[in-house]
Amino acid sequence: MNAALLSLFAPLAGGLLLVLWRPARAGLALGVALVSLLAAAAALHQVADGTRQWLEVGGWAPPLAIRLQLTPLSALLLLFTAGLHLLVAVYAARRPHAIGGADFWPLACLLHAALAALWLSADLFNLYVTLELLGLAAVALVALAGEKAQRPALDYLLLSLAGSLAYLLGVAILYGRYGVLDLFLLGEQATADAPTRLALLLMTLGLMLKGALWPLHLWLPAAHSSAPAAVSALLSALVVKGPLYILWLLWTRLAPTELAVQAGPLLAGAGALALLAGGWAALRTPLLKSLVAYSTVAQLGYALLALGLAMHWQEPRLEAALWLFVVAHGLAKVSMFLAAGELQHTLGGKRVVTLKGASQTLPVTMFTFVTAGVSLIGLPPSGGFLAKWLLLQPLLERPQHWGWALAVVLGTLMSAAYVFRVVAHGFDRARPQPPQVRPDRFGQWLTLLPALLVFGLALIGERMLPWLEGVSR
Amino acid sequence: MSWTSLLPLAIVLSSLVPGLIIFTLREEQQRLRVTLNLAGVALKVVLVAAMLIGVSDGLTFRFSLPFLPGAPLVLQGDALSLLFVTLSTVLWLATTVYAIGYLEDSPLRSRFFGYFSLCVSATVGLALAGNLVTFLLFYELLTLATFPLVVHRGTPESLRAGRVYLAYTVGGGTLVLMGVALLHALAGSPDFQPGGYLDGLVEERGPSLRVAFALLVLGLGVKAALIPLHGWLPKAMVAPAPVSALLHAVAVVKTGAFGIVRVVYDVYGAEAMEALALARPLLWLAAATILFGSLRALQQSELKRRLAYSTVSQVSYITLGVALLGPLAVVGGLVHLAHQGLMKVTLFYCAGNFAETLGVHRIREMNGIGRRMPLTMTAFTVGALGMIGVPPIAGFISKWYLGSGALEVGQDWVLLVLLGSALLNAAYFLPLVWRGWFATPADWHADNWAGERWETHWLLLLPVVFTALASVLVGILAGTAISPLGWARLIVDREFPR
Repeated sequence: MNAALLSLFAPLAGGLLLVLWRPARAGLALGVALVSLLAAAAALHQVADGTRQWLEVGGWAPPLAIRLQLTPLSALLLLFTAGLHLLVAVYAARRPHAIGGADFWPLACLLHAALAALWLSADLFNLYVTLELLGLAAVALVALAGEKAQRPALDYLLLSLAGSLAYLLGVAILYGRYGVLDLFLLGEQATADAPTRLALLLMTLGLMLKGALWPLHLWLPAAHSSAPAAVSALLSALVVKGPLYILWLLWTRLAPTELAVQAGPLLAGAGALALLAGGWAALRTPLLKSLVAYSTVAQLGYALLALGLAMHWQEPRLEAALWLFVVAHGLAKVSMFLAAGELQHTLGGKRVVTLKGASQTLPVTMFTFVTAGVSLIGLPPSGGFLAKWLLLQPLLERPQHWGWALAVVLGTLMSAAYVFRVVAHGFDRARPQPPQVRPDRFGQWLTLLPALLVFGLALIGERMLPWLEGVSR
Repeated sequence: MSWTSLLPLAIVLSSLVPGLIIFTLREEQQRLRVTLNLAGVALKVVLVAAMLIGVSDGLTFRFSLPFLPGAPLVLQGDALSLLFVTLSTVLWLATTVYAIGYLEDSPLRSRFFGYFSLCVSATVGLALAGNLVTFLLFYELLTLATFPLVVHRGTPESLRAGRVYLAYTVGGGTLVLMGVALLHALAGSPDFQPGGYLDGLVEERGPSLRVAFALLVLGLGVKAALIPLHGWLPKAMVAPAPVSALLHAVAVVKTGAFGIVRVVYDVYGAEAMEALALARPLLWLAAATILFGSLRALQQSELKRRLAYSTVSQVSYITLGVALLGPLAVVGGLVHLAHQGLMKVTLFYCAGNFAETLGVHRIREMNGIGRRMPLTMTAFTVGALGMIGVPPIAGFISKWYLGSGALEVGQDWVLLVLLGSALLNAAYFLPLVWRGWFATPADWHADNWAGERWETHWLLLLPVVFTALASVLVGILAGTAISPLGWARLIVDREFPR
């Protein structure tokens, strides 16, 4: 547990130091992210055998105490968060155009700390605090892009506050009804009565709004595509996963089984529609970063589909699929947003059509985009494929579930269509003598790294599965 | 790990590694690129030869790596996979030489040869795949590796063709994925085995097995160009000639046909196919494709498009042989896998030579071309006669076995299909041969004749002569054990234990 706490407090302390200590330094942020990464690896090592650890803050026993829990999954998510933060920070240090200002450094650290605290919390109010901190840090990061991002950032702020408020209201109702805030104690007591239903509904809507889950996703494309590239990468890969985690905790650990079974198809249906609607929007949009942002909406649909069906059928295999989607999507999306930023910056245009000939002028970056895209489509042997395979297995076992599999097929085809839409432009040889561009070599290869990791994920995926399912009820 | 488990991996890597290195080379590093390419080919030839000897002595080669839960990555060399691996290797050798000559001084050669090697690695991996999940992996990789080759020229036309190609193949790949996932949910993913592994499920999960079969065959049928899924193939003709040659002879259409062989014999097995009544629809589909492809070929006025529709027709002979479910017919189908490859690659090289040397693309421009390019035209004639089924060229052997196989299982009507197709083949190939040798030359003749010692670049001529000779030799030597026919009989002996 101490290692996990270090992984949480390193970015928190670093973030606060950076706020006070002007001008902010990239070096400190890098160091903090590295420490956090190592600590998270140590934490994962401690719980790798499937144990879980508790920390009762202040030494009080529950129900008075605020508890933190460390499970293999939360350790993995700590590692994932710290790793992506470090990678984006290294990239940002090298390519200052991708961050929009020195305020990036403290904000990214605070974002990291908020997420780390979120993965470790087991208390509804504590989760609220982390959620609020996460939202504020994210909004501030979007606003770094300057004037053009003011409107999306403001929308994001207002909707994020509305989401938090709905969540908080739900928490208050549950506290009034049961008198405890600890997630697992609530899980033991909760019954399917009207206040509990209302609270769960409010919390779910609030979380869906904050997590940009369809149909409450409308703020996401504008916010993610107007932010600086490094920020978009953090937002798409990490931030939207926080509310999803809480949603998962709510419905699989707290909610009475009978309610989860009822609500499952609704969430799964929203997930299926997210796949289609997000994919369609990504196909239609003329702008590159907007395409990548809509692809996030679509990919979150897979996660929501997995969550809804896991609730409906009480099927732990689907929870593993959910977390594999989250990790695979995060890695691929970091690569894709950074590559999109690199393409945009070097070729000097925001539209998809400016990529004509990019396979000649920026081969490595284009390759990065494709590699990440292949995982998003879910072609073997990527992490996205592994996740989709796990999702498909329970769906295909019974013919009456095949309708859901059809949604997955359509989602796959849509994602293939929007990824190859970009790729096809790259192979266009419309201008035989392309303008001389000088790509940044280090930046290019660094961007490729997470996309390659997502392929490595497929090889260690089988060993990771026990961690993903390790959180037992 | 012993050498028997590493050999399959080494065969895949012997083209993958040179391919990856080639990507990083600069355009002007021509010599290094050619060396790497040829070194990879030579190494692969040696490794494949070693495996051929091993398998004919009864050794088994198996490499496995944990991948999905319950479904490892398996590469294994059995008699069937080696038929396809050997074909790919030999034709890769010839096509590499051809491509070096064809692309001399054209831009983006590093990219081209990089993807070219990836494409062969995917094909060989697919041939060696030991279970359905591994097969799926390489099937999708092949799509990704061939797309850049199809759009290599980067013109609006080739990009359009590339989009069509992707739409078909990604769609097909998704169907295969669903089929594989469904079978995995029902029966897990054990290694391919003669006679299949689904017998125990036929009673209980019959409808699900039928759905899985339909998904797999439709998905594979896209690459195998079964009607109505063949639309991408004539469009993909915009690719450079070596790509068309490889796509048509080995890489893409054959992987579809090979996949159907695997699914029918090593996943379902003849008994389950009978019990589920799946063979008959496949047979009809194949027969319809054979006739349809030939009819469409007759209507084409462009040489490469005529050859493309001829591929649609000829590849379905393999599916036909497989769907007849009798030992003799299977021999015919399998041997056609190799024979069609040799003959079709010859025809495409010839078409490439005509286009490259004289700018001849359309059929009416071929008049008298035999006087200008006698060797190429001879090779073309060999390929064309072989496709029709004239003895002793390879195509005759395939048709003989397919015909006797059909009689053996009592499907006499198939003979009519074969006969009709032979007539149609004659109708669309013989006029070309006649034009080439006997028609009065057109006006290209005078200004294009002088100055060259050879009829075209020797690197373009060598592979043509090689594959044409091979098409004749495998026909003449069909009775020996080392011919494709001998090998196909070995496969069938092992698949149908008597």
